Amino acid sequence: MKIATVESWVATPLQSFVDEARVQLALVLHPSGQAVAQAGFTRRMDVMTACALAAASHATASELGRYVDGKPFRGLHYAGPDKQLFIGTVETRAGAYICLTVFDEESSLGLVRMYFDDLSRELAAAAPAPLENRTDVLAVDFEADLNKNLAMLFGRGGDVIIRNA
Amino acid sequence: MSSPFATILDVLTRQRGVRASLIVSERDGVIVDASVRFGQDGDRIAALAASMYRKARLSARAARLGAVSFLQLDAERGRICAVGGGGDLVIVVVTDPQANVGLIRMELLKALDTFQETDDGLPSEGAKRQGEESR
Repeated sequence: MKIATVESWVATPLQSFVDEARVQLALVLHPSGQAVAQAGFTRRMDVMTACALAAASHATASELGRYVDGKPFRGLHYAGPDKQLFIGTVETRAGAYICLTVFDEESSLGLVRMYFDDLSRELAAAAPAPLENRTDVLAVDFEADLNKNLAMLFGRGGDVIIRNA
Repeated sequence: MSSPFATILDVLTRQRGVRASLIVSERDGVIVDASVRFGQDGDRIAALAASMYRKARLSARAARLGAVSFLQLDAERGRICAVGGGGDLVIVVVTDPQANVGLIRMELLKALDTFQETDDGLPSEGAKRQGEESR
C-alpha cells in the first residue's frame, strides 16, 4: 500500500505498520485535524472527512476518559459488522499525533494494538525536535495548512478549497 | 473473583516447561484470561497466536482437510501450541523447547473438552471439579 506523507519521518514507521498489521486504511494527523500522512485513501475529500471525525472522536474520548478515569483514554476501538476502527494517540517530542486505522477480518484488534505500540515507539524515536517558535494553530492558518497538506498528500490536481462560512 | 477459566489455566501452567497459558479470542486476538510467567508479553502472544490459529483454520478448510485439532509451532527458543473448539475461543500455551509436547497436547485437548461441554464455551462445574481433583 502506498504511503503519502507531509512529514517525511512518518513514512517508514507507517509503512511498517500498514504492512505488518495488514490494515486497509491508516491516517496520522495532528489533534487539530491536520493530516500528516495517509495510506489507503484514494480521495482527498475522504481524508478531510476522516481527519475531522478522528480529531473529534479523539477529543471526545479524551474528555470522557478524564471525566470517568481522571486521565484521557489512549485508544478507541469500534467494531462494525465487517470493518473495525482503532484510534490511538502517539506521544512524541514533536507533540502528540493521532492515528486512525481501519481494518477488516484480515487483521484483528490484538494485532493492530500490538503493531500500534511498535508504531508509537518508532514515531517517538524518529520525531524531530520541536520547533522553538512553534505557535498554536490559528483558524486563519488552519485552512491554508490543511490545503497545503492535502495537496502534498494527493498532488496539486483537483484541490479542494476550504472557505470560511 | 476468579474467572471461569482459572482452573483450566492452572492445570496447563503447572506442566513442566510451560511459560504461559492463555484463553484468547480468535477474532479479536485479545486475551480473555491468562496465566503468564514474568517476562512474557501476553498481549503479543495472544495477538500472534490467534492470528496464526485463524490462518491455519482457514487454510485447513480451504484445503478441505476439516477442522484444525491441534496447532504447534516449533521455534528456536520455544514452542506455541494452540487448540480451538469451533467457537471464538482458542487455548494457547507457550513452552520451553524441551517441554513434553505430548503431555501438553493431552492437557490442551482435555481443556478443550471442558469448553465443549457447555454451549456458551465456558467450562462446566464438573470440569472445574475435575481440574481441582487433578491438582
